[in-house]
Amino acid sequence: MSGGESLRESAVFNLGGAITMIVDDSPFSLTLTSNALTGFGIRPAYACGTGTQAKKLLTDKPIDLLVVDTDMPDIDGFELVRWLRRSGPNPNAFTPVIMTASHIRRGRVAEARDCGANFVVTKPFSPAMLLERILWVARDSRPFLEVGDYLGPDRRFRHSGYEGVERRADMLRKANGMESLAL
Amino acid sequence: MTVITHTQRKSRLSEMLDRPGGVSVGVALAQARANLDGLQDQARAIITENIAVLLAKPEPDLIEPMRLDLAYSASSQIIDAASPFAMDDLCTAAKGLCDLLDAAPRHGGFDWRIATVHAQAMKVLLSLPPEEQAARTAILTNLHEVLRKKLPASDQSAT
Repeated sequence: MSGGESLRESAVFNLGGAITMIVDDSPFSLTLTSNALTGFGIRPAYACGTGTQAKKLLTDKPIDLLVVDTDMPDIDGFELVRWLRRSGPNPNAFTPVIMTASHIRRGRVAEARDCGANFVVTKPFSPAMLLERILWVARDSRPFLEVGDYLGPDRRFRHSGYEGVERRADMLRKANGMESLAL
Repeated sequence: MTVITHTQRKSRLSEMLDRPGGVSVGVALAQARANLDGLQDQARAIITENIAVLLAKPEPDLIEPMRLDLAYSASSQIIDAASPFAMDDLCTAAKGLCDLLDAAPRHGGFDWRIATVHAQAMKVLLSLPPEEQAARTAILTNLHEVLRKKLPASDQSAT
């Protein structure tokens, strides 16, 4: 799915009751996201300019959807989501999270993958793409996995067989009959 | 490595999605578009402001890492402001500059003429009428060439 083209115009959804939080250090970006969500019938309940403010609210208030920017000066989006996923028994620990990024530094790509967000959206994105992602995370049924430092939705999207050149070490070991050496 | 699978819970978001009432995708997108349209002038002002930051002479005591971060932030803000208004060429130019600034050595040695060229190109892109597609393409082609020459080979896959 990309660019929002897979959305059917006549499809109806109801997210009017969703308690949504937007976190972005740029006031203009907060307004942009908030205006887009309002158009979708989602009234953003909380708009936070800092990760610290968001953290406080996430501890106290139930949130149904979190839209958070990656790059913020105090607690950045990656750190906030990593904290959230580990904040159990806080019910918000499992809240669907969409991260937005204007640009992700090369050195932070792994953090984006490993922080535990349901989806990371890089700009430019249109309202259609944002809506598509919201509807996608609303229906996201992936289980939450805790593996090493990672806690978040299962990052494996494809469950069918891989048809390209096999490069995964464990699969190569299996194929070479070296199963006993694995891990 | 141990893998713990947490019990699958249905989010409140998924429960409310199919409740009666609501809005169609077409209407939602039209409403969002209308809500955003009112912000377009503000977005253009923010883009202009950040292009000016990129073109400004740096303070003499500004150390290289801070100068890089300042320029990176200005370029990111251009992407933020341009992105919802389909100014994709501006986003492409600003993203290229972010890539270059991100790959620049923190201890000095970045060729700041590259930032100036990008900023001037963005200024032109912002002022060009939408029908000037050939001029836009030519500008982006030139910037891409700069990116290809200046970005370390290991970072080229990102472009």
